[in-house]
Amino acid sequence: MSGAGGLAWRALHALLRALLCLQRALLACLRGRAANGPRAWLWRRAASASCALLAPAAGAFAFRKAGAGRRRPGGAAQGRQRWRSDGRALQKLPVHMGLVVTEEEPSYADMASLVVWCMAVGISYISVYDHNGIFKRNNSRLMDEILKQQQELLGLDCSKYMVKFANQDKADQVLNCQSTLKVLSPEDGKADIVKAAQNFCQLVAQQQRTYTDLDVNVLDNLLSSTNGFPDPDLVLKFGPVDSTLGFLPWHIRLTEIISLPSHLNISYEDFFSALHHYAACEQRWGK
Amino acid sequence: MSWIREGELTIIERFCANIIKAGPMPKHVAFIMDGNRRYAQKCHVERQQGHSQGFEKLAQTLRWCLNLGIREVTVYAFSIENFKRSKEEVDGLMDLARQKFIRLLEEQESLKKHGVCIRVLGDLPLLPLDIQELIAQAVLATRNYNKCFLNVCFAYTSRHEISSAVREMAWGVEQGLLEPSDVSESLLDKCLYTNNSPDPDLLIRTSGEVRLSDFLLWQTSHSCLVFQSVLWPEYSFWNLCEAILRFQMNYSALQKARDSYMEERRRQQMERDQDYVTKKLQQEGFASHGDSRRRRTLLQTCTAMREERIQGFLQALEHKRADFFERLCPVSA
Repeated sequence: MSGAGGLAWRALHALLRALLCLQRALLACLRGRAANGPRAWLWRRAASASCALLAPAAGAFAFRKAGAGRRRPGGAAQGRQRWRSDGRALQKLPVHMGLVVTEEEPSYADMASLVVWCMAVGISYISVYDHNGIFKRNNSRLMDEILKQQQELLGLDCSKYMVKFANQDKADQVLNCQSTLKVLSPEDGKADIVKAAQNFCQLVAQQQRTYTDLDVNVLDNLLSSTNGFPDPDLVLKFGPVDSTLGFLPWHIRLTEIISLPSHLNISYEDFFSALHHYAACEQRWGK
Repeated sequence: MSWIREGELTIIERFCANIIKAGPMPKHVAFIMDGNRRYAQKCHVERQQGHSQGFEKLAQTLRWCLNLGIREVTVYAFSIENFKRSKEEVDGLMDLARQKFIRLLEEQESLKKHGVCIRVLGDLPLLPLDIQELIAQAVLATRNYNKCFLNVCFAYTSRHEISSAVREMAWGVEQGLLEPSDVSESLLDKCLYTNNSPDPDLLIRTSGEVRLSDFLLWQTSHSCLVFQSVLWPEYSFWNLCEAILRFQMNYSALQKARDSYMEERRRQQMERDQDYVTKKLQQEGFASHGDSRRRRTLLQTCTAMREERIQGFLQALEHKRADFFERLCPVSA
């Protein structure tokens, strides 16, 4: 990279990065102010203008309701009621939601909040993914954080919302569990497909199957990374990287991918906005 | 040439192209050309017109890509799921394909001049026979050109492609060309329809939908995904630049993620090989922590033998595929 073209390129990218930072700062400021505070309308205008300007460059989902929001609605009882009705108010809710973090340093507390909100709103299957496998390696720390948040956000009525941790081999199945969680990493993606292929080839070598037996359905059934889970309907992707970074390539063929700038200090409003956006999308299934 | 619009960039376009080209450029771009039907509705014309316009836009986009130095493009022209559409629409699309392939075959000189290698990827036996024959002619006629590459996914879904790759490896095992333990991610890569192409650096989907719709799921796991709301027939040079800018902004993060993924893959393969060698040594009665030279030699031998098996298998696969096209073209190109 040299000469005038190189300089211009560097200037262009510096400008884009600066605009992105400005947009994030504006949105953060907006969130920090009360909805009816003085000059809140000005912040909202600035935020939506920057979204319109940067939406293509940032690629992030433009927040239509970038209103101020406290992270936790006041009081567990109020929160619970609101969340259940929020879920019911949507035209459609994903059956399986994937939470994909592309940022280098994942936050257990924020991920736990997201998981608990998913449960509260009525999502049956939840998967958590980061491309470094950090959540998977520190599974128990994530679980502890989730249980803690569950207590905090859902109060004493926990039993109705118990989450089943699909990764654990523990026999303590919880009754009335309404959500199941899986923590995934890249080895559940391509590597799982390869494992299934190896197993099938082993059967062929032992003359128990023939190669013509293998079709899309057979291969689908041989995959084990998401046993019992339907394919994800929705992936919320957090962070600046515009890629799924190896998240369940086979399973995401029809998955809606909604991007959010970050999972750090994520608010319930942002989470719900994304769900709202998903509820409005139309699937034609190839027809 | 009907598939690649003739012409050069305007002055302003060239100026911006020069700035963008100062940064890293994608070598292979994939397009999901979505929005033809919505465009037709918007303009109050027949759906078929929308698809025609879509093809014209493809020709124009290919020209822009060449002007920007992007030498490989893959497009999603027709999904296996699209067979579910009305007979009228499917027949219309097949007619469009017939028309375009016949036209393409009349432009052999132009194809040669531009060095365009055309590949058609998909479950081709699902298509009408005459279209299969046209495709075979186009593919065979251009197979040795290498200035630029156009991959058209026709009667394609990614799951079918991945299953087909696994089936080929199973065929290899059945033929005695492969051992089950030879099956790996890199071997699967080489059995996909896209085995002659690097993974796409950038995947662009138009019309505002934010899903992959069963397109190149395996190959785009670490690609830059750009979803743009413009309808495909309205795609502009600036939309393309915008997508490339996003690619450039993601470049270092994606490189890093890809490199660490490949490193992890290599490490796991190494571990598997070591385990295999340990087992073999145990079978031969040597202590597993014994003679390290014996261990190294055994590892080298096993790796070399595996490489040989894989080369033999891939050659057989190549022959099988070439055979398929040649049988459709009784008169050689």
